[in-house]
Amino acid sequence: MNNAVDFRLCGLRVRSDLALSDLPAWDGDGRPADLTIRLGLVPDRLTDIAAEGGLLQVAVDGHCRFAIPDVAAYLLSPDATTLTVAPAAGATVAEIQAFLFGSVFTMVSLRRGWLPLHACCVRVGGHAVAFAGASGAGKSTLAAGLMSRGFSVLADDQTVVELRPDGGPWVQPSFPRIKLWRDALDRLGQPVDGLARVRRGLEKYSLPVGAAFHDQALPLRHLYLLVRPGDGGPVTPLAALSHLPSLLSYPRLLALLLPQDRLMEQMFRLAGACGGIRLLERPETERQWQDLLDLLQAGAAAS
Amino acid sequence: MNGFYWIASYPKSGNTWLRLLLASLRAGGAPVTLDGPLAAFAPRVGTALNFETHLCVDPTECSTDELANLFPALVAELARIRPEPQFSKVHDAWGLTPSGQPLFPARFTLGSVYVVRDPRDVAVSLAHHHGQDVDQAIAVMARQTAAANSSRCYPGHIEQKIGTWSHHVASWLDSQPPPLLVRYESLRADPRAELARVAAHCGLEAGDHALDGAVAATRFSTLQALEEHTVFDMGQAAGSRFFRQGVAGGWRQSLTATQVASIERDHGAMMARLGYR
Repeated sequence: MNNAVDFRLCGLRVRSDLALSDLPAWDGDGRPADLTIRLGLVPDRLTDIAAEGGLLQVAVDGHCRFAIPDVAAYLLSPDATTLTVAPAAGATVAEIQAFLFGSVFTMVSLRRGWLPLHACCVRVGGHAVAFAGASGAGKSTLAAGLMSRGFSVLADDQTVVELRPDGGPWVQPSFPRIKLWRDALDRLGQPVDGLARVRRGLEKYSLPVGAAFHDQALPLRHLYLLVRPGDGGPVTPLAALSHLPSLLSYPRLLALLLPQDRLMEQMFRLAGACGGIRLLERPETERQWQDLLDLLQAGAAAS
Repeated sequence: MNGFYWIASYPKSGNTWLRLLLASLRAGGAPVTLDGPLAAFAPRVGTALNFETHLCVDPTECSTDELANLFPALVAELARIRPEPQFSKVHDAWGLTPSGQPLFPARFTLGSVYVVRDPRDVAVSLAHHHGQDVDQAIAVMARQTAAANSSRCYPGHIEQKIGTWSHHVASWLDSQPPPLLVRYESLRADPRAELARVAAHCGLEAGDHALDGAVAATRFSTLQALEEHTVFDMGQAAGSRFFRQGVAGGWRQSLTATQVASIERDHGAMMARLGYR
């Protein structure tokens, strides 16, 4: 553990044996680590499995095991304070980190009682505003567009919400980067030179957020669901419960790790605190962008 | 009984037609539509949504090799959660994942059906489908690295490694368990008898009424008429019909002698094995 370095993720002090290139170094207080990531052995099969699906096993005692063949197996302690990683032979840190920050971090969030939204999130005034949507809905492109218009970013596709017992929903900032496909970067006029690929061989790049990263938690004020142009009206209230799963990251993990009644309760509390969930057409033209900026400013003024 | 029946073929060899026949048969010989549930029968495994929903991974951040390595786990999971036999369309060649596992694990394979078509007709149909000239299609059929759904066009979908036409046929004919071989030409000549054979192989009931209904519902003229009124996007070039001619031996009118010679040079051994003269 001598080489371990501490990082910041969602307000947590993360101590890791692995160099986590996407995360800023911990610059907070001297508290002990909230989450320790260590290299170690992970059993092929947990004893006393309570639930399993796909690549996930959940034990009766609360341990969770998630494994990607040829990359790594991950074992999370029931209190979500220790994550043991067993890399497969030949796996790279980039590969291990990709799944660690995706599915595995969603498990950590759920175990901490946080709600992982499949959403990007920006700061508007003193609040956070999140834009959810399925893969390909345009979350990251929207985040990059808002950043270029002067907004600070809290998340590009995983918005972690903490529902505080007395204070409503708060967004914990996640990763200081925006992942964009090459065609989206081209449309944004952002050169790819110097940007790191998210994964070797993929035309998806990591755009650093830098100083535009807002690294402190903010109360969530509004929640939108991004739809394609022509699928909604510019802004309409969400009227169909069937849309709810598309607000969430990895619905299957949620189904396995969070009791459905608890999920319902959290979703309704979230929707209530945000004044409902509204469909928003993804802005494409300058006019649509102006409408969105007006909408965000009106929301900020009202709050 | 958990597991899959794979409906496999090289592209443009009658896969969609056979699936529509099977879908109608299973519905007792019901008419088909191109936008209804029967047209969605035997979906591909390996879409982005499959990976996200069943394996809890974000496939748009996986490398091509990782998705291929996850494919057997996806098949296993789908077999685990659904107690009934499943059918799935396949254009991949049979083979191993980059990490050396069978792409279509025998343990979750209840059976497979391989539809083969004279490669000279495939070339004509493939050219039409992609809006290419026939020489380009012939080159694709001889290309070892030919693949569909590369991650650039369909983020998060598994890449289907197809390979050459000859390799594709051989990979499936030599796979385990051995597939039922269905010739497009036989399907044209006697769809009822071929459908009955496929149904028996796949453990499907096939009464006279259902067989007659399925054949009537999927006559080529019927499918063409349906396509007049429905958007049926199977990846064909803009403005091209998916159901074009549905004939066997049409190549005799549309290929040049040089083109025929090219195909026979590229695929002569497999054509001989299959009796295509």
